[in-house]
Amino acid sequence: MARAPKRPNRFFTIGSILALAWLGSIAVLSILAPVLDSIRDPNKLGPSYSKNYKVGPGWDFWFGSDKLGRDVFSRCIFGAQISLRVALGSIVVGLLVGGFLGLLAGYLRGKVDSAINVLLDVLLSFPALILAILVVGRLDVLAENWTWLTRTWSVTIVLSLLSIAPIARIVRAQTLSLSEREFVLAARSLGASKWRIVGKEILPNLVPAMVSVAFTGVAVLMVAEGGLAFLGYSVKSPTSSWGKLIAENREKFNDGAWWGTTFPALMLFLTVFAFNVIGDRFARRFDIREAAL
Amino acid sequence: MRYALTRIARFVLVFVIVTFLVMLVTRIGSKDPIRDLAGGTVGDAQMDKVRDDFPYVKACSGTFEYIPCVAKQYVFWAKDMVTGNMGVSYLKSQTVFEMFQERAPSTFFLGFWAIIIGLIIAVPIGVYSAYKRDGWLDRILSLGSYVSISMPQLVLAVLLLYGVASRFEFFPNRTNYIAPWENPVEHFKNFFLPSLTLGLGLGAVWSRLLRADMILTLQSDFINLARAKGVKPGRVLWVHALRSSVLSLITSVALQMSGLVSGAVVAEQFFGVPGLGFRLVEAVQTNDILAIQAITAVIVAVVVIVNVGVDLLYSVIDPRIRQMRAMG
Repeated sequence: MARAPKRPNRFFTIGSILALAWLGSIAVLSILAPVLDSIRDPNKLGPSYSKNYKVGPGWDFWFGSDKLGRDVFSRCIFGAQISLRVALGSIVVGLLVGGFLGLLAGYLRGKVDSAINVLLDVLLSFPALILAILVVGRLDVLAENWTWLTRTWSVTIVLSLLSIAPIARIVRAQTLSLSEREFVLAARSLGASKWRIVGKEILPNLVPAMVSVAFTGVAVLMVAEGGLAFLGYSVKSPTSSWGKLIAENREKFNDGAWWGTTFPALMLFLTVFAFNVIGDRFARRFDIREAAL
Repeated sequence: MRYALTRIARFVLVFVIVTFLVMLVTRIGSKDPIRDLAGGTVGDAQMDKVRDDFPYVKACSGTFEYIPCVAKQYVFWAKDMVTGNMGVSYLKSQTVFEMFQERAPSTFFLGFWAIIIGLIIAVPIGVYSAYKRDGWLDRILSLGSYVSISMPQLVLAVLLLYGVASRFEFFPNRTNYIAPWENPVEHFKNFFLPSLTLGLGLGAVWSRLLRADMILTLQSDFINLARAKGVKPGRVLWVHALRSSVLSLITSVALQMSGLVSGAVVAEQFFGVPGLGFRLVEAVQTNDILAIQAITAVIVAVVVIVNVGVDLLYSVIDPRIRQMRAMG
């Protein structure tokens, strides 16, 4: 069998540049949205001619109007803000806590490893979405006393919880294989302390894998947030998020108003796709194997 | 054998912890668990009846007494579950067991067909792509599977429900449960689209996995030996190579179980499948505590049992793994 010559694994390819451009523009738009004049207030009821999905996509309403005459485009952009904030916030917590647990389990092994593994098994044996609706649904009752606990916070807490176990698994596997390597042995035989080995030898080598995991993780979390929002367990009305827009506007899909559902769905898909592409390119660039997925 | 026992013991431990945590959540997120159980706004007589039926359900309070108090309730609940009394959903006026009889078949068939669809997609694509690696069709298929992996089930559901179901009379917009032995055609019509929603993503994941595994297998000596002996290329590919690559596929089926359940909740909601996921969302909204506990317990049990099963099967199928474990 003739084998095609192996192409170099560059990080920047057409795909990853397009993906970065897409994510960049979404991020910039959603951050600048409040100050840009051309983006309407997403919660203000639209003019009467736009009520009941009267206006389709066009110059006036780029993505059409919804039931209350609001601008679907601006709701998508403000929804992006929520989706990104929630997903990024939870991945940071997931990386910190999951990374810490994974390092401990992988380096110390023995009893610590077994204890952490039971904890991770508990988290993993629970179907993600079910854990999420259960916790978010019940946190609502607590939120009556704790006013800071808005839905955005509850969702971030739950998604952080969900991201811990997969990240910890991957970090543990990487740590296990790294701690067998020669440079760790060298450091150990030079008399370096445990914490120095973990901090100076192992941790820096984990960074590429963690960056790659962070990107694919954000993609997974955005899907989860979309699912939660669709089921009514994410931000409360009138705040929008992509999953919620799909849920809100889907009944009218067959009455000609295809835009209310299609555009948020498209944006969700493209964003998830972009995060996956970048994570994947990164993994190839640094030759990370999907060992512990 | 010792390995099997420790494995099972650990999963029992995990199961107990998970179900306990669920109970804790239903209690913490409630002002009055008894009222939640009774179904919200009901008269005093009904409340007394509920208290009589389930004397162990009560509100807990206090910082240090909280967990022991819930733990005591957990013991009663576990005893009930083991003796087959899964409780009552007063809100729906049916026992939890009846609820399972009504709802479980839909979810079962949804998951079952999703796995079948996933395999129908994955096996030919995976085998072909590994065989014609880096060919033009392989590139297209790889891109296709990559796109499908990134496709949120929510988006796929939008596509299938509005792009297919509402344009063609053939598929109903809402799924009803019809047993396959009663009317196979209607069963297919009702379950095809929701199962495809779940199955496409599974197929994409598995085809990538199978491709990667098959590429390695095709390079091994026993394949060369089979070729050299003059076994037909098709047979080498589909029998010799596929058989040894199937292992990683089986593991992945187990790993995807909990993802499948999550996806099923969304798909059931979207297509109106009268399944357990749909019911669970309702139960969480009203904090129907015994229904929540029973459904989550059954789901977690299925996920855990499949995982243990695959784990044990693995060491039966591939003695190398058993040996590896025995050594350390």
